[in-house]
Parts: sequence; structure tokens; C-alpha cells
Amino acid sequence: MSFDPNDQGSRPRRSRPQLARRDVLRGGLWVGVGLGAAPLLAACGNESSGQVVGGAAPYPLARPDHPVTLPIKDSNPPIGDGLAPESGGAFKILNYADYMAPGVIKDFGKKHGVTVQVTPYNNYDEMLAKIRAPGESFDLVFPGPSVLSKMAYTELIQPLNHSYLPHLKNVWPEYQDPWYDRGAAFTVPYTVYGSGVMYRADRVSEVPQNGYDLIWNKQYAGKVAVLDDYGEAIGMSLLRNGLTTDINTSDPTLVQKATDSLIELIDLVEIKVNINAYSEVPEGTATVHQGWSGDAIASQYYLPKGETPEVLGYWRPKDPAERVIGSDVIAIPKSSQKPVLAHQMINDLLDNAIGLRNFGWNGYQPPLTKLSARYLVDQEYIPANLMNSVVVPGDFATGLTYYEVSPETEALWRNNWSRFKAGA
Amino acid sequence: MPDAKHGHDRETRRLWPALALPGTLWLIALFLVPTYAVMAVAFSGNINIFGEPIPAWNPLDWQFDTFLTVLSESVSGIYQAVWIRTAVYTFWALVICVGVGYPVAYYSARLAGKRRGLILALILAPWWINYITRMLAWVNLLQDDGYVNKLLGIVGIAPHSWLNGNSFTVVMALAYGYLPFFIIPLFASLDRIDGRLLEASRDLGLGSVRTFLHVTLPLSRLGLITAIVITALPMAGDYYTNTIVSGSPKTSMVGNQIELYLLQGPQKNLGASIVLLLSFVLLFFMLYYLFLTQRAAKDAR
Repeated sequence: MSFDPNDQGSRPRRSRPQLARRDVLRGGLWVGVGLGAAPLLAACGNESSGQVVGGAAPYPLARPDHPVTLPIKDSNPPIGDGLAPESGGAFKILNYADYMAPGVIKDFGKKHGVTVQVTPYNNYDEMLAKIRAPGESFDLVFPGPSVLSKMAYTELIQPLNHSYLPHLKNVWPEYQDPWYDRGAAFTVPYTVYGSGVMYRADRVSEVPQNGYDLIWNKQYAGKVAVLDDYGEAIGMSLLRNGLTTDINTSDPTLVQKATDSLIELIDLVEIKVNINAYSEVPEGTATVHQGWSGDAIASQYYLPKGETPEVLGYWRPKDPAERVIGSDVIAIPKSSQKPVLAHQMINDLLDNAIGLRNFGWNGYQPPLTKLSARYLVDQEYIPANLMNSVVVPGDFATGLTYYEVSPETEALWRNNWSRFKAGA
Repeated sequence: MPDAKHGHDRETRRLWPALALPGTLWLIALFLVPTYAVMAVAFSGNINIFGEPIPAWNPLDWQFDTFLTVLSESVSGIYQAVWIRTAVYTFWALVICVGVGYPVAYYSARLAGKRRGLILALILAPWWINYITRMLAWVNLLQDDGYVNKLLGIVGIAPHSWLNGNSFTVVMALAYGYLPFFIIPLFASLDRIDGRLLEASRDLGLGSVRTFLHVTLPLSRLGLITAIVITALPMAGDYYTNTIVSGSPKTSMVGNQIELYLLQGPQKNLGASIVLLLSFVLLFFMLYYLFLTQRAAKDAR
């Protein structure tokens, strides 16, 4: 760099009027420029993991037809059997905001004498940044299959000891041995959900055959949003424009076309980008909002006084083969200070009663066999007009899922996403 | 006693550099080290398992591909719009700052008399409230059913959508946020103008308008430039004002792009490259400012 701020200090000084104040200002400016770079330092702290050459993934990429057993290394063993749960101090959860019922959290804290702290994130990128922050520790984290291999291979999460998890038998059989984590060695399932379009039924006169078109409809300009998630947003554009049903495509032309179509939304509908469909649609800030099915179900709890769930609508493709399906899991970070208690909470969340209570608040279905779609509707947890936000076990065999992809493909998607974010 | 005098000289010769030591260490810790870290990330050639750049601490390992890509994309490519937007927004926010801030600074420095302390305190009062809270208050005022639209409704103007990527809102928010930074240095400069010069101007027959144009304005020029620099630099790198009052790609500024790369996802080398580029651009203006102050100091002697 061609400048040296120390020159300011060592430059011979003569007495000049007004010098002192100006120098102070000047000094402040340099410091300001320096401070602006502070977040970068965080990026430099921890490059313990090996370097990667080329585009191949340094970890196996799990697919339903290519299930993966995540390695349990000697350096990262599960906890032993029969340990007493820790108590006192903080129990730290790293999670999406509003993704676990406050009542469940409170009761757990009370029962075990701990203060439960929730650190929120908006997407997996933020989650990874926070879980990897040097010196930070968390006791529970909620990732998804699309980031799982790298988290296990870099020992960010620890293997589970199933002797603490008798309730694992409550979950759908396929999730007791899922393709992304054979034998549920590192994770248990938390929720299952679909991706679609939430809308205000009282403001949208007609839902087109291709419901994604609601997002591209000028009529709702200023009140349209897509998810702040590069996979979900670009993936939706791929499907909407009929480019491909491979929502993990590595074809640069397709990803570029899909992104171009997203960029059109900037002028067409003044598109917004966030993950708050569950509150923005019922509150009316958004008329059309790309959202997860759990958002649709939860949105009934965010309606202003006097409004009924009939004003809400949720669209997903009719054909199960065109539906986007996802799942989130629960894992214990390796940094956990209370791993036994963390197992305890996982076991609690897989309990039918607690799972139902949690669902009754966050709207995201736990894949618990007893809480079938039928049961949830009968118990009036899901209003009739939001029926198509229900996920059933068969959906995963036929639907489309975002997988963990190679670094090269990930970079392709990200580069396009930043093109959209630049508003170019 | 020549010896004693000599010894005293040596003492002061050591004393003055010693006084500069804390400041020097401060600058090294908070400027040089972070800047070097930014360069090590921006010029990194390798990525780790998360796709993040591995900082290249050794300059011999530096690779400039990423930086050059960012540079060319900034000149004509995906970042071009972001740079232009940043420049335009900063410019108009500064115009508003000058239009609103100069009269306030002028009034409080020259005409407020005993109440100047109170006025200064009032200018700084918003600083007792957190910046983000103040911006969120704007969101409440400007939302679709907020007070601004209600007020417009009373005078028969149709409600306006202020928060959906509205450039005007972003410019207003920037100007509002940084206005006190603008007023304070300008106040200090106007306050220093020797009242006798103004009296002399009047005595020589100039009216108050021409006295302002020919005496006050030139004498406060440096203060004005200081105020512009001190507000323009943080405005150009601001991202959270924009995030709060717009959140739309339509109004994305350089700071938003840096935030995207540094806080969301692994491509921190791209973010670091934009940081360097922004630093170079701001440095250019800083150097111009330093040049002006040096020249003014020379003139003053």
C-alpha cells in the first residue's frame, strides 16, 4: 500500500493556527477506515481446515441414492453413557429466529436450572460463521442436509450417543436412518417443510396455474418478497421459468438465466429479500412472499386482531414431483459445554407432546409418526385453507431437495446471487 | 551552563517522539494490521473446506486474480451500478447536509448568542439514542400506514411507498444520520472567524449578504470541506442505514455488497477486494483534503 498513516505523526510540525482540531479529525478518519476492516479479522482467525484445490468436494456429497455415513473420528467421540446432565449457567442454542416455542425453551430452562440463550441466524452462512467464531461455544444447532457433510468433516458437530435418545423411535422410520446421515449418527430430524408461495387471499384475485407467477406479477409491486436464501430464490426461478427441475444444477447458463429472471423482479415488483413470510403476510406488509410451508402454518398466529386465517393462502405445485421439500436437523456442536443436557433437549423435542407444543407455536412439522397430517388437521392446528402446506412422508421420495453441492457449483450460485443483490 | 542546556535538549528530543508512541501503536494496531489482513484475504489464492479464502500472510504468495476481477467488474460489470449508486447517494446526502447543516451551524455559531450551548446540546441530543433505533423510528414513520402517509392523506396526496427500495428515502436517511457529524466541525470553523473581520467588512460598506459571500464563506471553506469529508467517508461505506430503510437490491450500495460477502457466505476475498477498492477511492479524496489543508495552512502563515 502506498500510504503510511504514521507519516501524519512523524511529519515535522510547525505551529499553525487551527492545527490541533484538524489533526484530531484527521486521526479519527484513519481510525475509522481501519475499524471498517475489523470484521475481516474474524475471517482470518481460523483456517485450521485444509486447503481445497479445484472444484471437487473434499467431503462426500450425500444423495438419496448415495447415502452417506458421516465419519466418527477418534478426535471427536460421542459422550459416554449414563452421565448426569449438567446444570447451572447458560445453555446456548444457535437457531433461526422464532424457530422454537418460547414455552418449550422456558420450561426446559426451569427444569434443569439453566438460562437458555438463543442466538439467531438468517441462513446457514450466518450459522456457519457463528458456530466457527473462535472461542464461541453452543450447545445445540439446527442445520440442514445441505451443509451437513462439511460440518461433520470439520468436526463442528459431535456424534450423538443414542442411549440418551429413547424418543428417536418416535420419528418417521426413514428419518431414523436418513440418507444424509446413516444411522442418525450426528443428527436427529427437527422439521420437514415445503417451499412455495404465501399470499394474501383477500388481495390476490386469482392464483395462476404456475403459482410462482404471483411473484412476477406487477399488480403486487412493492409487496412482493423472495427468501433471503440463494438456493431457494434461484431454485424457485429455475422452476418458475421451466429451465430445469434439477434445483442443484451446475449448469452456468441455467443458473444465469434463472438469476436474470430474479433481477427482472427488482424493477418489475420492487422485490424485497427476507425470510419473514410468517409475519409479513399476515401483517399485510407483503401480499406475495416466497415462503416455507411452516411459515404458512405459523402465519395464523401473527394475524392482527379481528382477522381470520381465511385471508391467508399458500401455493405449492400440484404435482408432488415438482414440489420442493426440505428438512432441518438438530445437532450438538463440538464446542458444547453441556453435551449431556443437549442430548436431553433433543430427546425432549422428539417427545410427542413437546413436539406438538413446539409445532403449535412455530408451525414447522416435526416428522413424528404420531403427529400425522390427519391428526394435525383434526386437532385444528392447520386451517383448512392451508392444507397444502402439510408435508407427508411420501413427499420426500418424489419431491425436489436442495443437496450439499461441490464448492464449484456453490460458487456459481453465489456469484449469481451477489449479482442479484447488487441490483445490477 | 552549556552542558545542562545540552542535556535538556536531548531530553526534549526524546520526549516528543515518546509522546507520539501511544498514538503510533494505536494506529498500527487498528489501521496497519487490519489493512494488511484485508490484503492477505483479498490476495489469497487458496480456499479452505468451507470455500473461504485462506489469508496469504506472505506477500510472495499474493495472487491478484480476484482483485482484478473485482476491479473490472466495478468499472463495467456487476458492481458498476453499486458504485454509481454509492456516489450518487453520497453526493445528494451531502447536498442536503450542506443545505440544512450550514444554516444551523451558522446560526448557532454567529447568531445564537447565549443559547448556543443549548443549541449544540440539542444537535447532539439524538446521539443519546442508538443509531439503529433512530433508523427504525423512521421505518415506523414511513411505512405504508405510517404517520407520513397519514399526513399526506390529510392534504389529499395518495400514500407513497417509501420503504421498498426508494432511493429518496435512502438519501434522506443518510443525510439525517450523519447531519450532526457535519454540523459540529462546521460550527467550530464558523465560531473561529474573527468578528472584527466581519465588522470591517460592514464598515467598508458591504451588506450582510455580501459579507457572508465574501468573508464568512471563504473563511469557513476549510471547515466546510472538513465537514464534507468527515460525513462522506462513513456514508460511502454505510450499509445498515440502507438495510433498514430499504433492504432492496434496487438501492444496494458498496457497503451492502461488502456486507454480503463478509457476513453471508465464504467469498470473503471478493468482499476484501471491494474493501480495498473503496479504501483507494476514499484515499484519493483524503489526499485531496490533506492537500487543501496543507495549502490553507501555508496561506495562513
